[in-house]
Amino acid sequence: MILWILYDIENDRARTKVATACKQAGLHRVQYSCFLGEIEADMRDTLGLKIRALIDEDKDKVYLFAMNQTQLQQCQMLGQAFDKKLITDQIKILFL
Amino acid sequence: MELIINSYGAYLHVKEQMFEVRLKPKGETQPQIHHFAVHKVKSILMAVGTALSTDAIKLAMYHNIDIVFLEHNGHPLGRVWHSKLGSTTKIRKKQLEASLSPRAIDFVKHWVGHKVENQLLFVKGLGKHRAQHLPYLQEKIDKLSALKTAIMALEGTMVAHIADTLRGLEGTAGRLYFETLSFVLPKAYRFEGRSSRPAKDAFNALLNYAYGVLYSRVERALIIAGLDPYVGFLHRDDYNQLSFVFDFIEPFRTFADKTVFRLMAAKKINKSHTDDITNGVSLNKEGKALLMQAFGEYLDQDTIRYRGRNQTRGNIIQLEAHRFAQILLETTDFEPQNTSQR
Repeated sequence: MILWILYDIENDRARTKVATACKQAGLHRVQYSCFLGEIEADMRDTLGLKIRALIDEDKDKVYLFAMNQTQLQQCQMLGQAFDKKLITDQIKILFL
Repeated sequence: MELIINSYGAYLHVKEQMFEVRLKPKGETQPQIHHFAVHKVKSILMAVGTALSTDAIKLAMYHNIDIVFLEHNGHPLGRVWHSKLGSTTKIRKKQLEASLSPRAIDFVKHWVGHKVENQLLFVKGLGKHRAQHLPYLQEKIDKLSALKTAIMALEGTMVAHIADTLRGLEGTAGRLYFETLSFVLPKAYRFEGRSSRPAKDAFNALLNYAYGVLYSRVERALIIAGLDPYVGFLHRDDYNQLSFVFDFIEPFRTFADKTVFRLMAAKKINKSHTDDITNGVSLNKEGKALLMQAFGEYLDQDTIRYRGRNQTRGNIIQLEAHRFAQILLETTDFEPQNTSQR
Protein backbone atom coordinates (compact mmCIF):
# COMPACT_ATOMS: atom_id res chain seq x y z
CA MET A 1 0.00 0.00 0.00
CA ILE A 2 0.98 3.62 -0.30
CA LEU A 3 1.15 5.45 2.98
CA TRP A 4 1.05 9.17 3.72
CA ILE A 5 2.24 10.31 7.09
CA LEU A 6 1.58 13.89 8.16
CA TYR A 7 2.49 15.26 11.51
CA ASP A 8 2.63 18.22 13.83
CA ILE A 9 4.97 17.43 16.69
CA GLU A 10 6.05 20.09 19.17
CA ASN A 11 9.13 18.53 20.70
CA ASP A 12 12.17 18.77 18.41
CA ARG A 13 13.73 15.53 19.62
CA ALA A 14 10.55 13.55 19.16
CA ARG A 15 10.00 15.08 15.75
CA THR A 16 13.47 14.11 14.55
CA LYS A 17 12.98 10.59 15.83
CA VAL A 18 9.66 10.24 14.05
CA ALA A 19 11.25 11.45 10.82
CA THR A 20 14.05 8.89 11.18
CA ALA A 21 11.55 6.09 11.85
CA CYS A 22 9.70 7.02 8.66
CA LYS A 23 12.92 6.98 6.65
CA GLN A 24 13.93 3.63 8.09
CA ALA A 25 10.56 2.25 7.04
CA GLY A 26 11.46 3.22 3.48
CA LEU A 27 9.23 6.26 3.14
CA HIS A 28 10.33 9.38 1.32
CA ARG A 29 10.23 12.86 2.72
CA VAL A 30 8.05 14.85 0.33
CA GLN A 31 7.62 17.86 2.59
CA TYR A 32 9.02 18.96 5.94
CA SER A 33 6.38 17.16 7.97
CA CYS A 34 5.08 14.77 5.37
CA PHE A 35 6.37 11.33 4.36
CA LEU A 36 5.12 9.13 1.58
CA GLY A 37 5.97 5.73 0.15
CA GLU A 38 5.20 2.11 -0.55
CA ILE A 39 4.97 -0.03 2.60
CA GLU A 40 3.80 -3.46 3.72
CA ALA A 41 0.84 -3.63 6.11
CA ASP A 42 2.82 -5.17 8.98
CA MET A 43 5.53 -2.57 8.64
CA ARG A 44 2.92 0.15 8.75
CA ASP A 45 1.58 -1.25 12.02
CA THR A 46 5.07 -1.35 13.51
CA LEU A 47 5.72 2.21 12.40
CA GLY A 48 2.40 3.34 13.90
CA LEU A 49 3.36 1.82 17.26
CA LYS A 50 6.82 3.37 17.12
CA ILE A 51 5.42 6.81 16.46
CA ARG A 52 2.81 6.48 19.19
CA ALA A 53 5.59 5.80 21.70
CA LEU A 54 7.53 8.86 20.60
CA ILE A 55 4.88 11.56 20.54
CA ASP A 56 3.01 13.41 23.24
CA GLU A 57 -0.53 12.20 22.73
CA ASP A 58 -1.98 15.25 24.49
CA LYS A 59 -0.41 17.79 22.14
CA ASP A 60 0.84 16.25 18.90
CA LYS A 61 -1.09 15.26 15.79
CA VAL A 62 -0.06 12.46 13.44
CA TYR A 63 -2.04 11.06 10.52
CA LEU A 64 -1.36 7.82 8.68
CA PHE A 65 -3.38 7.69 5.46
CA ALA A 66 -3.22 4.65 3.24
CA MET A 67 -4.11 4.61 -0.45
CA ASN A 68 -3.65 2.30 -3.40
CA GLN A 69 -1.94 2.79 -6.75
CA THR A 70 -5.11 3.79 -8.56
CA GLN A 71 -5.89 6.45 -6.00
CA LEU A 72 -2.36 7.81 -6.24
CA GLN A 73 -2.66 8.04 -10.01
CA GLN A 74 -5.79 10.17 -9.52
CA CYS A 75 -3.94 12.65 -7.32
CA GLN A 76 -3.07 16.02 -8.75
CA MET A 77 0.43 17.24 -8.21
CA LEU A 78 1.51 20.76 -8.98
CA GLY A 79 4.76 22.62 -8.91
CA GLN A 80 7.86 20.91 -7.59
CA ALA A 81 6.06 17.67 -6.83
CA PHE A 82 7.74 14.32 -6.13
CA ASP A 83 8.53 11.59 -8.59
CA LYS A 84 5.63 9.11 -8.67
CA LYS A 85 7.91 6.33 -9.85
CA LEU A 86 10.23 6.71 -6.89
CA ILE A 87 7.38 6.78 -4.38
CA THR A 88 5.81 3.61 -5.71
CA ASP A 89 9.11 1.68 -5.80
CA GLN A 90 9.05 1.41 -9.56
CA ILE A 91 12.65 2.46 -9.84
CA LYS A 92 14.45 -0.87 -9.74
CA ILE A 93 17.91 0.33 -10.55
CA LEU A 94 19.30 3.56 -9.19
CA PHE A 95 22.47 4.96 -10.64
CA LEU A 96 24.41 7.22 -8.34
CA MET B 1 16.06 -1.79 -5.76
CA GLU B 2 19.52 -2.33 -7.07
CA LEU B 3 21.93 0.46 -6.20
CA ILE B 4 24.70 1.13 -8.67
CA ILE B 5 27.31 3.44 -7.26
CA ASN B 6 29.35 4.70 -10.12
CA SER B 7 30.44 8.22 -9.20
CA TYR B 8 34.08 8.76 -8.46
CA GLY B 9 34.61 9.46 -4.77
CA ALA B 10 31.17 8.28 -3.66
CA TYR B 11 31.10 6.95 -0.11
CA LEU B 12 28.69 4.30 1.16
CA HIS B 13 28.26 3.98 4.91
CA VAL B 14 25.60 3.49 7.56
CA LYS B 15 23.56 6.19 9.23
CA GLU B 16 20.76 5.39 11.65
CA GLN B 17 20.47 1.82 10.39
CA MET B 18 20.12 3.02 6.81
CA PHE B 19 22.56 3.07 3.93
CA GLU B 20 23.85 6.55 3.27
CA VAL B 21 25.53 7.43 0.01
CA ARG B 22 27.57 10.61 0.00
CA LEU B 23 28.38 12.09 -3.38
CA LYS B 24 30.60 15.00 -4.24
CA PRO B 25 29.44 16.38 -7.57
CA LYS B 26 32.10 18.25 -9.50
CA GLY B 27 32.27 21.96 -8.82
CA GLU B 28 29.99 21.80 -5.81
CA THR B 29 31.13 22.26 -2.24
CA GLN B 30 28.15 20.63 -0.52
CA PRO B 31 28.01 16.84 -0.75
CA GLN B 32 24.83 15.23 -2.01
CA ILE B 33 23.40 12.75 0.48
CA HIS B 34 20.97 9.91 -0.21
CA HIS B 35 19.42 7.59 2.34
CA PHE B 36 18.10 4.10 1.65
CA ALA B 37 16.03 1.96 3.97
CA VAL B 38 17.67 -1.44 4.32
CA HIS B 39 14.72 -3.55 3.22
CA LYS B 40 14.31 -1.57 -0.01
CA VAL B 41 17.79 -2.47 -1.24
CA LYS B 42 18.34 -5.81 -2.96
CA SER B 43 21.94 -5.50 -3.99
CA ILE B 44 24.64 -2.88 -4.24
CA LEU B 45 26.97 -2.67 -7.19
CA MET B 46 30.06 -0.54 -6.75
CA ALA B 47 32.32 0.65 -9.51
CA VAL B 48 36.00 1.52 -9.09
CA GLY B 49 36.90 4.73 -7.27
CA THR B 50 34.21 4.47 -4.59
CA ALA B 51 34.51 3.90 -0.85
CA LEU B 52 32.71 1.60 1.55
CA SER B 53 32.58 1.27 5.34
CA THR B 54 32.76 -1.98 7.27
CA ASP B 55 29.48 -1.16 8.97
CA ALA B 56 27.82 -0.97 5.58
CA ILE B 57 29.23 -4.40 4.73
CA LYS B 58 27.91 -5.77 8.02
CA LEU B 59 24.48 -4.25 7.53
CA ALA B 60 24.33 -5.70 4.04
CA MET B 61 25.32 -9.14 5.29
CA TYR B 62 22.66 -9.11 7.99
CA HIS B 63 20.01 -8.42 5.41
CA ASN B 64 21.19 -10.75 2.65
CA ILE B 65 22.16 -7.86 0.42
CA ASP B 66 25.13 -8.59 -1.79
CA ILE B 67 27.77 -6.00 -2.52
CA VAL B 68 29.37 -6.51 -5.90
CA PHE B 69 32.49 -4.78 -7.19
CA LEU B 70 32.42 -3.99 -10.88
CA GLU B 71 35.23 -3.34 -13.28
CA HIS B 72 35.04 -0.53 -15.82
CA ASN B 73 33.40 -2.81 -18.36
CA GLY B 74 30.74 -4.00 -15.94
CA HIS B 75 32.29 -7.37 -15.19
CA PRO B 76 31.96 -8.42 -11.56
CA LEU B 77 35.36 -8.62 -9.91
CA GLY B 78 34.08 -10.01 -6.64
CA ARG B 79 31.34 -9.82 -4.11
CA VAL B 80 30.80 -9.60 -0.40
CA TRP B 81 28.36 -12.20 0.78
CA HIS B 82 28.12 -14.01 4.11
CA SER B 83 29.89 -17.33 4.07
CA LYS B 84 26.77 -19.37 4.69
CA LEU B 85 25.53 -21.56 1.90
CA GLY B 86 22.32 -20.55 0.22
CA SER B 87 20.85 -23.93 0.93
CA THR B 88 21.81 -27.47 1.86
CA THR B 89 25.26 -28.87 1.10
CA LYS B 90 23.53 -31.81 -0.50
CA ILE B 91 22.87 -29.69 -3.57
CA ARG B 92 26.57 -28.98 -4.04
CA LYS B 93 27.43 -32.66 -3.69
CA LYS B 94 24.78 -33.56 -6.24
CA GLN B 95 26.08 -30.85 -8.55
CA LEU B 96 29.59 -32.30 -8.48
CA GLU B 97 28.20 -35.76 -9.05
CA ALA B 98 26.01 -34.63 -11.93
CA SER B 99 28.82 -32.70 -13.60
CA LEU B 100 30.71 -35.96 -14.07
CA SER B 101 27.75 -38.16 -14.91
CA PRO B 102 25.99 -38.79 -18.24
CA ARG B 103 23.20 -36.49 -17.06
CA ALA B 104 25.56 -33.58 -17.68
CA ILE B 105 25.12 -34.09 -21.43
CA ASP B 106 21.40 -33.37 -21.18
CA PHE B 107 22.05 -30.29 -19.14
CA VAL B 108 24.62 -28.69 -21.42
CA LYS B 109 22.61 -29.54 -24.53
CA HIS B 110 19.62 -27.93 -22.91
CA TRP B 111 21.41 -24.70 -21.96
CA VAL B 112 23.12 -24.18 -25.27
CA GLY B 113 20.10 -25.39 -27.25
CA HIS B 114 17.94 -23.05 -25.29
CA LYS B 115 20.21 -20.13 -26.07
CA VAL B 116 20.09 -20.86 -29.79
CA GLU B 117 16.31 -21.26 -29.52
CA ASN B 118 16.06 -17.84 -27.90
CA GLN B 119 18.30 -16.32 -30.56
CA LEU B 120 16.09 -17.91 -33.17
CA LEU B 121 12.93 -16.50 -31.62
CA PHE B 122 14.49 -13.06 -31.42
CA VAL B 123 15.43 -13.16 -35.10
CA LYS B 124 11.92 -14.36 -35.96
CA GLY B 125 10.51 -11.39 -34.05
CA LEU B 126 12.68 -8.99 -36.04
CA GLY B 127 10.74 -9.89 -39.17
CA LYS B 128 7.45 -8.58 -37.82
CA HIS B 129 8.19 -4.94 -38.57
CA ARG B 130 10.84 -5.41 -41.19
CA ALA B 131 9.06 -6.88 -44.17
CA GLN B 132 11.84 -5.72 -46.51
CA HIS B 133 14.34 -7.99 -44.74
CA LEU B 134 12.12 -11.08 -44.63
CA PRO B 135 13.98 -13.18 -47.22
CA TYR B 136 17.30 -12.44 -45.52
CA LEU B 137 15.89 -13.21 -42.07
CA GLN B 138 14.23 -16.40 -43.28
CA GLU B 139 17.56 -17.72 -44.49
CA LYS B 140 19.11 -17.08 -41.08
CA ILE B 141 16.12 -18.57 -39.29
CA ASP B 142 16.49 -21.78 -41.28
CA LYS B 143 20.20 -22.00 -40.53
CA LEU B 144 19.71 -21.31 -36.84
CA SER B 145 16.99 -23.91 -36.48
CA ALA B 146 19.18 -26.46 -38.27
CA LEU B 147 21.93 -25.69 -35.77
CA LYS B 148 19.53 -26.09 -32.89
CA THR B 149 18.43 -29.47 -34.17
CA ALA B 150 22.07 -30.49 -34.58
CA ILE B 151 22.82 -29.49 -30.99
CA MET B 152 19.89 -31.39 -29.56
CA ALA B 153 20.83 -34.46 -31.61
CA LEU B 154 24.35 -34.69 -30.15
CA GLU B 155 24.95 -37.90 -28.29
CA GLY B 156 27.61 -39.22 -25.99
CA THR B 157 28.21 -40.58 -22.55
CA MET B 158 30.50 -37.83 -21.33
CA VAL B 159 30.47 -34.11 -21.91
CA ALA B 160 34.03 -34.31 -23.20
CA HIS B 161 32.80 -36.42 -26.14
CA ILE B 162 30.53 -33.75 -27.46
CA ALA B 163 32.14 -30.59 -26.06
CA ASP B 164 34.14 -29.61 -29.15
CA THR B 165 31.30 -30.20 -31.60
CA LEU B 166 28.88 -28.40 -29.30
CA ARG B 167 31.16 -25.38 -28.99
CA GLY B 168 31.58 -25.31 -32.75
CA LEU B 169 27.83 -25.34 -33.37
CA GLU B 170 27.28 -22.75 -30.66
CA GLY B 171 29.94 -20.50 -32.18
CA THR B 172 28.46 -20.76 -35.65
CA ALA B 173 25.03 -19.91 -34.29
CA GLY B 174 26.47 -16.93 -32.44
CA ARG B 175 28.19 -15.57 -35.53
CA LEU B 176 25.03 -15.94 -37.63
CA TYR B 177 22.94 -14.35 -34.94
CA PHE B 178 25.09 -11.26 -34.42
CA GLU B 179 25.57 -10.85 -38.16
CA THR B 180 21.76 -10.75 -38.45
CA LEU B 181 21.36 -8.22 -35.65
CA SER B 182 23.95 -5.96 -37.24
CA PHE B 183 22.31 -6.27 -40.66
CA VAL B 184 18.92 -4.96 -39.52
CA LEU B 185 20.31 -2.05 -37.51
CA PRO B 186 20.53 1.46 -38.98
CA LYS B 187 23.80 1.88 -40.94
CA ALA B 188 25.59 3.96 -38.31
CA TYR B 189 24.98 1.32 -35.65
CA ARG B 190 26.25 -1.74 -37.46
CA PHE B 191 29.10 -3.77 -36.03
CA GLU B 192 31.56 -6.42 -37.05
CA GLY B 193 31.05 -9.51 -34.88
CA ARG B 194 31.67 -9.74 -31.17
CA SER B 195 34.61 -8.03 -29.56
CA SER B 196 35.67 -7.47 -25.99
CA ARG B 197 38.64 -6.07 -24.10
CA PRO B 198 38.26 -3.64 -25.73
CA ALA B 199 34.97 -3.54 -27.56
CA LYS B 200 35.52 -2.35 -31.11
CA ASP B 201 32.18 -0.53 -31.39
CA ALA B 202 29.31 0.86 -29.33
CA PHE B 203 27.17 -2.26 -29.72
CA ASN B 204 29.84 -4.47 -28.23
CA ALA B 205 30.66 -1.97 -25.49
CA LEU B 206 27.02 -1.94 -24.42
CA LEU B 207 26.64 -5.68 -24.71
CA ASN B 208 29.80 -6.43 -22.71
CA TYR B 209 28.60 -4.21 -19.91
CA ALA B 210 25.13 -5.76 -19.91
CA TYR B 211 26.61 -9.28 -19.89
CA GLY B 212 28.83 -8.27 -16.99
CA VAL B 213 25.85 -7.23 -14.93
CA LEU B 214 24.01 -10.37 -15.99
CA TYR B 215 26.94 -12.56 -14.83
CA SER B 216 26.62 -10.99 -11.45
CA ARG B 217 22.86 -11.60 -11.38
CA VAL B 218 23.24 -15.22 -12.37
CA GLU B 219 26.01 -15.81 -9.85
CA ARG B 220 23.81 -14.38 -7.10
CA ALA B 221 20.88 -16.54 -8.17
CA LEU B 222 23.05 -19.67 -8.12
CA ILE B 223 24.47 -18.94 -4.68
CA ILE B 224 21.00 -18.33 -3.27
CA ALA B 225 19.75 -21.57 -4.77
CA GLY B 226 22.61 -23.42 -3.06
CA LEU B 227 24.55 -24.15 -6.26
CA ASP B 228 28.27 -23.74 -6.67
CA PRO B 229 29.15 -21.09 -9.30
CA TYR B 230 32.54 -22.72 -9.83
CA VAL B 231 31.49 -26.28 -10.66
CA GLY B 232 30.84 -26.15 -14.36
CA PHE B 233 29.41 -28.70 -16.74
CA LEU B 234 30.54 -27.60 -20.18
CA HIS B 235 32.93 -24.85 -19.23
CA ARG B 236 36.11 -26.37 -17.91
CA ASP B 237 37.17 -26.16 -14.30
CA ASP B 238 39.94 -23.71 -14.97
CA TYR B 239 41.61 -21.96 -12.12
CA ASN B 240 39.12 -19.54 -10.57
CA GLN B 241 36.74 -19.62 -13.52
CA LEU B 242 33.09 -19.15 -12.69
CA SER B 243 32.40 -22.11 -14.92
CA PHE B 244 28.87 -22.80 -13.83
CA VAL B 245 27.82 -19.17 -14.23
CA PHE B 246 28.95 -19.38 -17.87
CA ASP B 247 26.91 -22.56 -18.37
CA PHE B 248 23.80 -21.37 -16.67
CA ILE B 249 23.75 -17.88 -18.19
CA GLU B 250 23.38 -19.14 -21.76
CA PRO B 251 19.57 -19.11 -22.07
CA PHE B 252 19.41 -15.68 -20.44
CA ARG B 253 21.93 -13.91 -22.65
CA THR B 254 19.17 -12.80 -25.01
CA PHE B 255 17.83 -10.59 -22.20
CA ALA B 256 20.94 -8.47 -22.57
CA ASP B 257 20.98 -8.78 -26.38
CA LYS B 258 17.42 -7.52 -26.68
CA THR B 259 17.93 -4.56 -24.39
CA VAL B 260 21.03 -3.43 -26.25
CA PHE B 261 19.51 -4.06 -29.66
CA ARG B 262 16.40 -2.04 -28.81
CA LEU B 263 18.44 0.92 -27.62
CA MET B 264 20.43 0.83 -30.84
CA ALA B 265 17.48 0.26 -33.15
CA ALA B 266 15.63 3.19 -31.55
CA LYS B 267 18.77 5.32 -32.05
CA LYS B 268 18.89 6.13 -28.35
CA ILE B 269 22.65 5.71 -28.23
CA ASN B 270 24.88 8.41 -29.64
CA LYS B 271 28.44 9.70 -29.45
CA SER B 272 27.86 11.19 -26.00
CA HIS B 273 27.42 7.73 -24.48
CA THR B 274 30.76 6.27 -25.45
CA ASP B 275 34.39 7.29 -25.25
CA ASP B 276 37.02 6.36 -27.79
CA ILE B 277 39.92 4.45 -26.31
CA THR B 278 42.97 2.81 -27.88
CA ASN B 279 41.75 0.24 -30.42
CA GLY B 280 38.16 0.46 -29.33
CA VAL B 281 35.20 2.02 -27.62
CA SER B 282 34.26 2.20 -23.98
CA LEU B 283 30.96 3.05 -22.36
CA ASN B 284 30.99 6.21 -20.24
CA LYS B 285 28.93 7.18 -17.24
CA GLU B 286 25.98 8.51 -19.24
CA GLY B 287 26.00 5.43 -21.43
CA LYS B 288 26.05 3.11 -18.44
CA ALA B 289 23.18 4.97 -16.78
CA LEU B 290 21.06 4.79 -19.94
CA LEU B 291 21.80 1.10 -20.46
CA MET B 292 21.20 0.10 -16.86
CA GLN B 293 17.95 2.01 -16.70
CA ALA B 294 16.68 0.14 -19.74
CA PHE B 295 18.11 -3.20 -18.60
CA GLY B 296 16.68 -2.77 -15.12
CA GLU B 297 13.21 -2.13 -16.46
CA TYR B 298 13.48 -5.10 -18.78
CA LEU B 299 14.64 -7.42 -16.01
CA ASP B 300 12.74 -6.23 -12.98
CA GLN B 301 9.66 -4.40 -14.15
CA ASP B 302 8.20 -5.92 -17.31
CA THR B 303 6.70 -9.32 -16.72
CA ILE B 304 6.28 -12.34 -18.95
CA ARG B 305 4.33 -15.55 -18.55
CA TYR B 306 6.36 -18.23 -16.83
CA ARG B 307 4.93 -21.53 -15.62
CA GLY B 308 1.42 -20.18 -15.40
CA ARG B 309 2.29 -16.95 -13.62
CA ASN B 310 3.42 -13.47 -14.53
CA GLN B 311 7.01 -13.03 -13.48
CA THR B 312 9.78 -10.54 -14.06
CA ARG B 313 12.74 -11.87 -15.99
CA GLY B 314 14.98 -11.24 -12.99
CA ASN B 315 12.78 -13.52 -10.92
CA ILE B 316 12.78 -16.15 -13.62
CA ILE B 317 16.57 -16.41 -13.39
CA GLN B 318 16.22 -17.10 -9.67
CA LEU B 319 13.34 -19.53 -10.12
CA GLU B 320 15.24 -21.43 -12.78
CA ALA B 321 18.24 -21.72 -10.44
CA HIS B 322 16.00 -23.15 -7.71
CA ARG B 323 14.41 -25.47 -10.21
CA PHE B 324 17.78 -26.73 -11.36
CA ALA B 325 18.82 -27.36 -7.75
CA GLN B 326 15.60 -29.30 -7.30
CA ILE B 327 16.29 -31.34 -10.43
CA LEU B 328 19.72 -32.23 -9.03
CA LEU B 329 18.16 -33.43 -5.79
CA GLU B 330 15.61 -35.54 -7.56
CA THR B 331 16.76 -38.41 -9.63
CA THR B 332 14.01 -37.93 -12.19
CA ASP B 333 14.99 -37.22 -15.75
CA PHE B 334 15.58 -33.73 -16.92
CA GLU B 335 12.87 -32.47 -19.20
CA PRO B 336 13.42 -29.36 -21.23
CA GLN B 337 10.66 -26.85 -20.87
CA ASN B 338 9.03 -24.48 -23.22
CA THR B 339 9.83 -20.85 -22.63
CA SER B 340 8.93 -19.60 -26.05
CA GLN B 341 7.99 -16.20 -24.68
CA ARG B 342 11.55 -15.30 -23.95
